[in-house]
Amino acid sequence: MGAAVGAAAPELAQAVSQARLLKNLVLTGFSSIYVIDLDTIDVSNLNRQFLFQKKHVGRSKSQVAKESVLQFCPEANIIAYHDSIMNPDYNVEFFRQFTLVMNALDNRAARNHVNRMCLAADIPLIESGTAGYLGQVTVIKKGVTECYECQPKPTQKTFPGCTIRNTPSEPIHCIVWAKYLFNQLFGEEDADQEVSPDRADPEAAWEPAEAEARALASNEDGEIKRVSTKQWAKSTGYDPVKLFTKNFCGTYKYSCSSFFFSFFPKEQNKSDQQNESSAMLKDQQVLNVRSYADLFSKSVKTLSLHLAEKADGEALIWDKDDPSAMDFVTSAANLRMHVFGMNMKSRFDIKSMAGNIIPAIATTNAVIAGLIVLEGLKILSGKIDQCRTIFLNKQPNPRKKLLVPCALDPPNPNCYVCASKPEVTVKLNTHKVTVLTLQDKILKEKFAMVAPDVQIDDGKGTILISSEEGETEANNHRKLSDFGIRNGTRLQADDFLQDYTLLINVLHSEDLEKDVEFEVVGDAPERIGPKPSEPTPKNISNGSDDGAQPSTSTAPEQDDVVIVDSEDEGTSSNADDVENKSRKRKLEKGCECVGAKRVRNLLLPLDKVIHVMSYCNSTLSWDVKNVQN
Amino acid sequence: MVEKDESGPGGISEEEAAQYDRQIRLWGLEAQKRLRASRVLLVGLRGLGAEVAKNLILAGVRGLTLLDHQQVSQEDTRAQFLIPVGSLGRNRAEASLERAQNLNPMVDVKADPESVESKSQEFFTQFDAVCLTCCSRESMVRINQICHKNGIKFFTGDVFGYHGYMFADLGDHEFVEEKPKVAKVTTGVEDGPEAKRARLDPAETTMVKKVSGESPGGIWGGQTPKNQR
Repeated sequence: MGAAVGAAAPELAQAVSQARLLKNLVLTGFSSIYVIDLDTIDVSNLNRQFLFQKKHVGRSKSQVAKESVLQFCPEANIIAYHDSIMNPDYNVEFFRQFTLVMNALDNRAARNHVNRMCLAADIPLIESGTAGYLGQVTVIKKGVTECYECQPKPTQKTFPGCTIRNTPSEPIHCIVWAKYLFNQLFGEEDADQEVSPDRADPEAAWEPAEAEARALASNEDGEIKRVSTKQWAKSTGYDPVKLFTKNFCGTYKYSCSSFFFSFFPKEQNKSDQQNESSAMLKDQQVLNVRSYADLFSKSVKTLSLHLAEKADGEALIWDKDDPSAMDFVTSAANLRMHVFGMNMKSRFDIKSMAGNIIPAIATTNAVIAGLIVLEGLKILSGKIDQCRTIFLNKQPNPRKKLLVPCALDPPNPNCYVCASKPEVTVKLNTHKVTVLTLQDKILKEKFAMVAPDVQIDDGKGTILISSEEGETEANNHRKLSDFGIRNGTRLQADDFLQDYTLLINVLHSEDLEKDVEFEVVGDAPERIGPKPSEPTPKNISNGSDDGAQPSTSTAPEQDDVVIVDSEDEGTSSNADDVENKSRKRKLEKGCECVGAKRVRNLLLPLDKVIHVMSYCNSTLSWDVKNVQN
Repeated sequence: MVEKDESGPGGISEEEAAQYDRQIRLWGLEAQKRLRASRVLLVGLRGLGAEVAKNLILAGVRGLTLLDHQQVSQEDTRAQFLIPVGSLGRNRAEASLERAQNLNPMVDVKADPESVESKSQEFFTQFDAVCLTCCSRESMVRINQICHKNGIKFFTGDVFGYHGYMFADLGDHEFVEEKPKVAKVTTGVEDGPEAKRARLDPAETTMVKKVSGESPGGIWGGQTPKNQR
């Protein structure tokens, strides 16, 4: 898989014989390779995942990978699991049986989890990832190097509710809205995914006539507020015209009639002419408004049929590879863009944004896979001091290097994961935040716990949250203050699977920003000014978000944004010097290889900042912000 | 080999669009079509050659000729993943053919058991790009001259344990460089109401076309290392 070290030319046999011997010794030492992946093979994987062929589409990746490898290396001992690594079956004891763990993941939650498991089991971990032409490899060893969570990584970009609901200004806002609408109509309804205009928003400028119309409408539709969106839609038989009217004509600034006229243009739109060139894929064409109205209508009908086929209570899950789901988001987002005066986007582009697609090719993955093995060999031969973080860049640096090694940093003594007694302070309003929010948004989402147990540090050890299902369910909707939690209270949160204890200091505050439920004190503040245009916010999930179940290809391609702390320069032209000088270099003025502290601005071929991962090709969690080369 | 359908919108078939989706999103449809039209010669099918073959085939070139006169040796069975078990003694190119073809049926993969040194100048002119591995210096020089004269892209490389090199002679060629888009004050055409404020969007880039005036002799890594801003 990936790069195999090539055979030596005869004349250099002597020089390399030691390396080869080492490799052979080391390889002989591999008693087995365990491969775990929850995903199945998709046709879009075939451009780079060379262990899979067309005939394998739909099958388990780990299983087929094993079969393909055995074809050319029959003596390899490979154990394949079609499963999520976050399954509690894979406990610390499971991890302890390995000499080395290599990650090839595509989401932050799983990376955090494996990071903790490897810390708990004290097993070296090789982290990696790729995105387009870029790639990165690094080594994590408890007590020796930084862990994956030592440096705060920026959370995926989210947009304020009012931007999505009232004042979209960019296509991405409309796309997010369309995905919310999908969930409201066909999927799991989520209180955080409101689509209707927020009348409480002071910035919403209702025109007088509009305001009056709304007042009337709300009187008539008074009942609607008590009925969920999905129930209401069902009651209309998912009538596209009614849905359209409710969701698109309700937007301010545009009256229904003018909007409807736009669907029956007298002349051909300019975009129709542009699309005639054969320089574009069908999906890359931008259609006219009427076509998107038709597509909306068509996809609503299809999706309502799919929903009807489901068992009672079951909902649809949005999947970029499901044509109707993608049609729906494409059309709904474009109609909204049109309403708000933005140029519409092609299905191709919308799919990228809605589906968090990271472009990927075989060669980058091959390079990174090779580097992973090389770092692995160093570890296995007891030379972890020679391990490095290595960046694969798009262009050579001033020293003409494309591959740039950087010294590994020691652990952060204040790391909220790998410090000896991790502690954080969380700012929130104890009268507003519920126990469920604490569990789901804070402990699971923010602090990446999988099955948290929480007790109050009140001398009585009062249990607030139990990881055992049902035990503390009654607490879920109660506020923290109900339990006497106030400013200065300490909570002890444990995840026994991860062997992780986190002490949380509660900082009560009543002046958090709108839409912000909590803040972790000490987190890097949001950037002011130019921001990279980032794709969908983290509470948008594609298919099965947490990947907890073995799934079909509805598993997210990637849903993560990590910062690349890529100081690329800094090594001399002689690779050997790295070992001698890297530490010293860190202190030198103008040193470029300072490890993971500064963030370069990276230019991306597409304005995407998520990493892609495929099992066979090691990919990397990139925190890719904008980099100016 | 599966026939490619040129009649799809964009000039590639739906099957290709689906399979190459993730790379089209990186280097664009135009680049994919150029790959799809190019014929490449690969000399030497040891570990390095196998890697190159895999990468070219997955990328979706029109045709790839695997040229190797040597036979499969014990060493090859460790480092070369295209050669099936039990192929000792077979010609290396021919032994690699089936697995190579299966990587992507849309590529026309051929095996040639002859030695590169026996090939005439005409032989090379049927290719758009030539990639040599395990070649003698004399061969490299000779073939480089043929390629250069005929406007054929030339690559050569080799590995030695933990060390390796790659050399490219692309002659006069055009290439694109990615540059950040400079902020403009928009007048509300592209975006919504807020567009009036100047906005620097560092993620927006544009591809700038450049022409290389490289003299014969080639350049390292196949790209100009000059960092032009």
